[in-house]
Amino acid sequence: MKSPLDNSIEAHGLVREFKKGPRAVDGIDLRVEAGEIYGFLGPNGAGKSTTVHILTTLLPPTAGTATVAGYDVVKEGPKVRKAIGAALQEAALDPFLTGREHLRLQTAMHGITGDERQRRSDELLTRVGLTEAADRKIKGYSGGMKRRLDLALALVHRPRILFLDEPTTGLDIQSRTALWAEVGRLAKEEGVTVFLTTQYLEEADVLADRVGIIDHGKLVAQGTPEQLKAEIACSTVEAVPAESAQRGALASVLEQFGEQTTGFGPGSVAVQLADSDGNLAEIVRALDGAGVVLSQLQIHEPTLDDVFLAKTGRHLEGSGDEQEQEQEHEPARA
Amino acid sequence: MNDTVAVARGVSWRVLHTFFTNPAFLLPSLAFPLFFFTAFAGGLSRVSQIPGFDFPTGYTAFQFVFVLLQSAAFAGVFTGFGIARDFESGFMRRLMLAAPNRSGILLGYSFSALVRWLTVASVVTAVALLARMKIGGGGVDLFALYTLALLLNLAGTLWATGVAMRLRTQQAAPVMQMPVFLLLFFAPVYVPLDLLQGWIHGVASVNPITPLLEAGRGFISGAPELALASFAIAAGLIAGFCFWAVRGLRSAEAAG
Repeated sequence: MKSPLDNSIEAHGLVREFKKGPRAVDGIDLRVEAGEIYGFLGPNGAGKSTTVHILTTLLPPTAGTATVAGYDVVKEGPKVRKAIGAALQEAALDPFLTGREHLRLQTAMHGITGDERQRRSDELLTRVGLTEAADRKIKGYSGGMKRRLDLALALVHRPRILFLDEPTTGLDIQSRTALWAEVGRLAKEEGVTVFLTTQYLEEADVLADRVGIIDHGKLVAQGTPEQLKAEIACSTVEAVPAESAQRGALASVLEQFGEQTTGFGPGSVAVQLADSDGNLAEIVRALDGAGVVLSQLQIHEPTLDDVFLAKTGRHLEGSGDEQEQEQEHEPARA
Repeated sequence: MNDTVAVARGVSWRVLHTFFTNPAFLLPSLAFPLFFFTAFAGGLSRVSQIPGFDFPTGYTAFQFVFVLLQSAAFAGVFTGFGIARDFESGFMRRLMLAAPNRSGILLGYSFSALVRWLTVASVVTAVALLARMKIGGGGVDLFALYTLALLLNLAGTLWATGVAMRLRTQQAAPVMQMPVFLLLFFAPVYVPLDLLQGWIHGVASVNPITPLLEAGRGFISGAPELALASFAIAAGLIAGFCFWAVRGLRSAEAAG
């Protein structure tokens, strides 16, 4: 049993089965330390939200145990809910209420009244940049404004642990960056433990101290982004022959340097290099020696998507846009 | 502050705020009881002239009691509609997440149903008084009448809450509404029980709403009858539906 002041999250053998459906969560073991930002990364339908629902006491597990802030999520639900804040994808806002009225509702439910309610509401509205829109009905808010209000609502009672379920889905870059900054500040300045689900690689990479990768309800990898990338260890070289007839020759040469891998562009051949040191010059020399003419040659540094690919055999869905933004890709032409 | 009370305050504030600031919610709640009162007390007033109809304070008071009890029960049912709407929109998830003690959610909805009904009852009473309704009962009788209606309101709310918590969809509205509608209209609505004949008399005789209606009419006419029985039935309905609603809440929690 954890101390009541513990801000950690712990799960053992967590399972959630739905009637006539697969196991949405299938034996998850994880531990999130106090003050840590834990990124829970996975494609749509991987079991991220179900895990969050269990940890936030919205859904009882079919099997396994979990403690949040030292409290059992099944037996001590009220204590868990007092310790946590959560901004979930499916938790709607009331179109008939204004932003300030939502805060009034949330503060009332946590027993915050009078001057303290006013102070806390003003402080949070300022922090999420909604002061001017505070007295407008929600139906006039943009998606980004709703997300920011949702975050403010989750923070009303100064939770020790914050659950954010895909908080930046559908947000523009500016809103996303602002939200990242606020989440980072909460963890670093206020010591809030953050459990963040995302399908965005960049988000997990930028924000998370540690990342758990979930697929088909199972945790397939866990560690710091650096550790996970280091597991992949080596860069991947992707080349496209100038003539498709040379594809076989290209593959033969590249396989001298590593194991062929899939999931890259059509017509290209990709190998994960066996040697962690860069040997692009050798590859180019070997290709030149074999008379293979390339139209394109790229070297990819390991990303979390590579980790996902290595663990699951496929790319993370919905990460295409994010990959393009990542600076780790270094295109080069032979 | 006690967690349950805090949650109840928050939930009831939100429901009442929405109710009083949106004519789309407020006006139908007022219009339907007034329509029934006008149609029954006004349009059917000649019913009071049939042989054997001997209600002392007149047909307006006779129908007023029915409309008062009906509005109480339906204010509870309409609260159930709101709960179902909150499930469908996802707002209930926010409440479930924010509420340290989820029993406070039931309490909040119940309290808001009570205030909603008191508002409707005030308007219906004012209209009845303007229509020169005769009142034979004293202050204690009237207090008993409104308390009885209040208890029926609570029973209606708990019934509809239990359904909404289990089915979690607005399509459950007929399930909430129809049994209440049938119970109300299979009671002696237009004439006293003694004047009913055939199968409807048999049904009305075993209908638990009948003693409540007769007791309410006794209170307003100043000749109370079945007072204890009616309060015992109301208490029984509340106890049963309270259990039903709490089990419904547990069902909603289990379903996520």
